[in-house]
Amino acid sequence: MIARRPLAALSFLAPAVIIYLVVVIYPLISSARLSLTDSPAGNVGEFIGLENFQQLFGDPDVMSALWRTLAYAGVVVVVQNGLGLILARAFFRRIRAQRPLSVMLLLPMLISPLMAAFIWSALYAPNGAVNAALEAIGLDSLTRIWLGDPTTALWAIAFVNVWMFAGYSCAIFLAGYMNMSNEVLEAARVDGADGWRRFRHVEWPLLAPALTVNVTLALIGSLKVFEYPLVMTNGGPAGSTTTLTLVIYQTIFGGQGSFGYGVAIALLLLAVVVVLSTFVNGFLRRREERI
Amino acid sequence: MTAPASTDIVDSAATPDAAGGGRGRLRLRKSSADRPGLLSNIGLGVVIALFMAPLLITVFTSLRTPTEVALDPLGLPIPATFDNFVDAFKQMDYLVSVRNTAVIMLASVFITVVFGALAAYPLARLTRRWTPWLYRSFILGMTLPIFVIIGPLYLLQRDLGLLNTWAGVILTYVGINLPVAIFFYTSFLRQVPIEVEEAAELDGAGPFRTFRVVVFPLLQPITATLGIFIALGVWNDLVLPLVFLRDPGLRTVMVNAYSNINPNAVDPTTLFPAAILGVLPLVLVFALMQRRVVQGLTLGSVK
Repeated sequence: MIARRPLAALSFLAPAVIIYLVVVIYPLISSARLSLTDSPAGNVGEFIGLENFQQLFGDPDVMSALWRTLAYAGVVVVVQNGLGLILARAFFRRIRAQRPLSVMLLLPMLISPLMAAFIWSALYAPNGAVNAALEAIGLDSLTRIWLGDPTTALWAIAFVNVWMFAGYSCAIFLAGYMNMSNEVLEAARVDGADGWRRFRHVEWPLLAPALTVNVTLALIGSLKVFEYPLVMTNGGPAGSTTTLTLVIYQTIFGGQGSFGYGVAIALLLLAVVVVLSTFVNGFLRRREERI
Repeated sequence: MTAPASTDIVDSAATPDAAGGGRGRLRLRKSSADRPGLLSNIGLGVVIALFMAPLLITVFTSLRTPTEVALDPLGLPIPATFDNFVDAFKQMDYLVSVRNTAVIMLASVFITVVFGALAAYPLARLTRRWTPWLYRSFILGMTLPIFVIIGPLYLLQRDLGLLNTWAGVILTYVGINLPVAIFFYTSFLRQVPIEVEEAAELDGAGPFRTFRVVVFPLLQPITATLGIFIALGVWNDLVLPLVFLRDPGLRTVMVNAYSNINPNAVDPTTLFPAAILGVLPLVLVFALMQRRVVQGLTLGSVK
């Protein structure tokens, strides 16, 4: 038994602990240290206390990127999970079609974000398939330069995110549906509750754990969004798709001589992810216990 | 259950929700509740078609010539041409980048799985004061955005001479994936009875032999799923190799595609085949092990 062999136990743990210390823990501590310096390229920097953080909260580029990222995450969380839920409910009643359909909807997730960005760059192009399809069904007035218009670019990108992961949300909600006991569902049906009422009073409360998982994952994932805006718009037009990760990437690696400042913005991202995901996850878990 | 019996139950139950509907309506609902109507079938069909359309357009367009596509973006690939694939193949330096990505992916998966399982074994079995603490510090790594550590990580690799080496990228992938591996292996092992290990020990097996012969084989089903989950993440990742691998000969599929193809400057007839080549190896794996892949994809949901 491993428990009676402390030396063996330590040697089992050693490789993982050492790599984790080197790759994750040390850089994390190093981040905290660098964020307090004016290091231009990661070399020696003067200790400047909290100056980077003061500068950051007064920096319109960083603040607008922060609000933009939050709005993006909010839209993705709601639309992706709303769509996933509708699909899961539709699949739940179609027992034979369930498996092949949910596997089909998971396909976009298999594609890398970069390749999805390639595909949608071409689809959104002025003479691309999206506009061609709108013209074909007589909605010419809706055609536009999706990624070239500051009012639509961010939401066009959010739609790609939704396209990739709605099938994933659907799979998780579907698992929630499969966990419901047949007796409860049957009782609700026999009670004659109509479709909406059955959903609102029976299915929705029972889906609480699936909702917690879905919202938390979509939130963390969309706050970290990077590849789509990098590839599809590179933050443009007029900065309308510059997310927090893009600001961090450009500030650290963009040759601006602002390494320390970039690391400070990265810590802001960490704070946002940790605070929001802890808060939302905690709220949803308490909600699970209430219902 | 017959229809009249069910309405009897409804009447006697008389819940506030049910009270609104008449007897006839209830019976109608009962019979139609299980079978979706035509309208909802059509609606679902349209949504699924819209979801799949981008993939179909991708395949069709990559088989057509640029002039055809400019005339009619939504046309069918008749006759089909493979010229676009030849171009994309060259632009992405495909064979070299597939080899590079495969080496990085397989090494990262292998090392993560072995070191993750090794660490999970004592974490699941030991009940010291420091084990839950160590376990939790591993789990914290699961939500850490890579951007938070990428700056210092770059400096560290530069100082250790690991920039522009596969070893540096593989080491990083192992480090950021160990939390997932340890989480799943530990929770899996906690449900495995300890008796098998004790029996192995009575047979004279030491801790390492017990691990290799008894514990690791037990983890096999979850290892496959976990391996696919990590492999997908590594194959599809752009950020790490973009920052750490500057040498064109070492670059992965995603970095070569990103560096050599500007989506705002080239035709869809270059973008679409590039996208297909980028995911092709994964689609082949998907086709071979569909069930495991679906489990691997949805693995994140239990975290």
